[in-house]
Amino acid sequence: MSESTRLAAWRLGWIFGALLIVETSVRAGWISSFFLAAPTRAVIVLWQQLAHGNALVLTGITLFEIAACLAIATVFGILAGFFLWRYKLIGTSYETLLAALFSSPVILAYPMFLVTFGRTSAAVIALSSIFGLIPIIINTKGAFQNVNPILLQVGASMNLTRKQMFRHILIPAVAPTIFSGFRLALTYILKSVLGLEYVAQVGGVGMWLSDASYKFEVEEVYAGLFGTIMLSILFLYLINRCESWFRR
Amino acid sequence: MIKARQNTSSFTAQLQTPLGVQALTLLGIVVVWECIGRTGLLFPDLFPSITEILQSLWIYLTTPVMIPHIKASLYEVGGAIIIAALFGVPLGILWGSKQSWLEIVEPLILYAAVVPKIVIFPVFILFLGIDVHSKLAVGAIAAFFPVSLLTIAGMREVKKVYVDVARTIGATPLQIAKNIYLPAIAGQVFTGIRIGLGAAVTGALLAETKIAKAGLGFMIVEYYGQFRIADMYALLLFIFIIAALANGAMKSLFGFLSPVSRRSGEAGMYF
Repeated sequence: MSESTRLAAWRLGWIFGALLIVETSVRAGWISSFFLAAPTRAVIVLWQQLAHGNALVLTGITLFEIAACLAIATVFGILAGFFLWRYKLIGTSYETLLAALFSSPVILAYPMFLVTFGRTSAAVIALSSIFGLIPIIINTKGAFQNVNPILLQVGASMNLTRKQMFRHILIPAVAPTIFSGFRLALTYILKSVLGLEYVAQVGGVGMWLSDASYKFEVEEVYAGLFGTIMLSILFLYLINRCESWFRR
Repeated sequence: MIKARQNTSSFTAQLQTPLGVQALTLLGIVVVWECIGRTGLLFPDLFPSITEILQSLWIYLTTPVMIPHIKASLYEVGGAIIIAALFGVPLGILWGSKQSWLEIVEPLILYAAVVPKIVIFPVFILFLGIDVHSKLAVGAIAAFFPVSLLTIAGMREVKKVYVDVARTIGATPLQIAKNIYLPAIAGQVFTGIRIGLGAAVTGALLAETKIAKAGLGFMIVEYYGQFRIADMYALLLFIFIIAALANGAMKSLFGFLSPVSRRSGEAGMYF
C-alpha cells in the first residue's frame, strides 16, 4: 500500500467513524432526531431531491452564478491588474485600498445589492464578483511586477517585437501567479455565492437550505448541508487537480 | 509670490504620492456620491446624500441607541474568538506536533475551511435556538480555521534542531514548550487570532442578518426592511470603522507582544 493510499484510508476512516457515531446516536435515540438527522437519511433525501426534486436545477443555478462571477472577476481582474502594474503610482496606491476593502466585512453590505439589483441572482453575482476580483487584481499586478528582468533582456536582445515579447515572455512568466489568484478567487466566490444564497434566500442550493431551515425539515436541512459541503469539496478538489496539471 | 508657487508645487508633489492618490480617490467618491444624492440623478432612493448618512452615524456615535445591539454583537464576537482560540490553538499544536497526524488532518481542515460557515447556521439554530448563542457558534467555527491553520503553520516553523539541542541538554517537556515552541509559534498564533476575529465578525453578523433578536447585523436588515437606506449605510460604515479599529488595535498589540506577527500581517488574504 502506497503512502498516499494509506493516508487517504486513514482520513476516510476518521470521516466514516464520525458518521457512524452520529448514525448510531440518532438511531439509538441518544440524540433526538428533531435536532440531528441520521447521515443515511440525509443522503437518501439528497438523492431523492436530485432524482425527483429540483435540487439539480438549484445546483445548476448555483453553478451558473459561480461561473458568471468567475468570468467577470477574471476579465476585469486581469485588465485592472495589468493597468495597476503599468501605472505604478496608481498601482501602489490602489493595492492598499483593495487590501483594506478585502479585509473588511463587505459581505454585510448585501442588502445594498438587494436594493440595487432586486432579490435575484444578479445581486449574488454582483457582490460575489468583488470577492473574486480583488485576489485576481492583486495577483496579476504582482505577477507582472515580479517577471524576471533577465527574461525581458533576453527578449530584447533577440529583437522581439512588443507583441512577441508579450506573447512569448510575459504571458508564460505571469500565468502561474495569475492562476494562483484565480484559485483564490474561485474559493472566495464559492463561499460568497453559497453564503449569500442562504442569507438572502435567492438563487440555488443556499436558498434550498434556507427554505428547509424555515420549514424545520430537519432531514432536508442536513441533506442541503451535505450537498453544499460536497459541492465545496468537489470544487476545491477540481481546482487542486487543475493547478497541479497547470504547473506540470 | 515665490512662496505661493513653492507651496503649490509641494502640494502637487504630495498629491503624487500613494497617500495623495488614495485621499483624492476617496474624496472623488464622496463628491460623486454627494452630487448623485443631492441631484437624484441615479436611483434617488438608493443614494442618500453623504450628509444624511453622516447625520445618522453621528446619532449612533453620540446617543445610546445602538448600545444593546453593540452589546449583543460584542458578546457573540468576543465569545466566538475565545472559543476559537481555546480549541484552535491546542488542536493546532497537537496536530502540528507530529508529522503523521498533520498529514492526515491538514487536508481535511483545508477542505473544511472552504465550506461557507454560514450554511451551518441552521444546525446551530436547531441546537441552540435563535438567541445569541447560535450566532456565537457560527462566529466560533468561522474563526477556528484561521486560528488552527496558523498555529499549525507556526508549529511547522519550529526547527527540529532546537528541540533536539534542548533535549540533549536535559530540558523537560515543559521547558521545551515554554522556551522553544511558545516563542516560535506566538507570532503565527496572534496572526491567526487577528484574522479569526475578522472571520468571527463576518460570521456572527451575517448570521444576525438571517434570524436574530438584537445585534448590529440584525439592525442592518431591520433598516433594509423599513427602507431606511441612509441609516443602513451609516450602520455599515459604523461596523467597518469598528472592525478596522479592532483590527488595528490587535495588530499593534500583537506586534508589541511578538515582533514575528508583524511579518505575517498579510496572511489574511488567504482566509
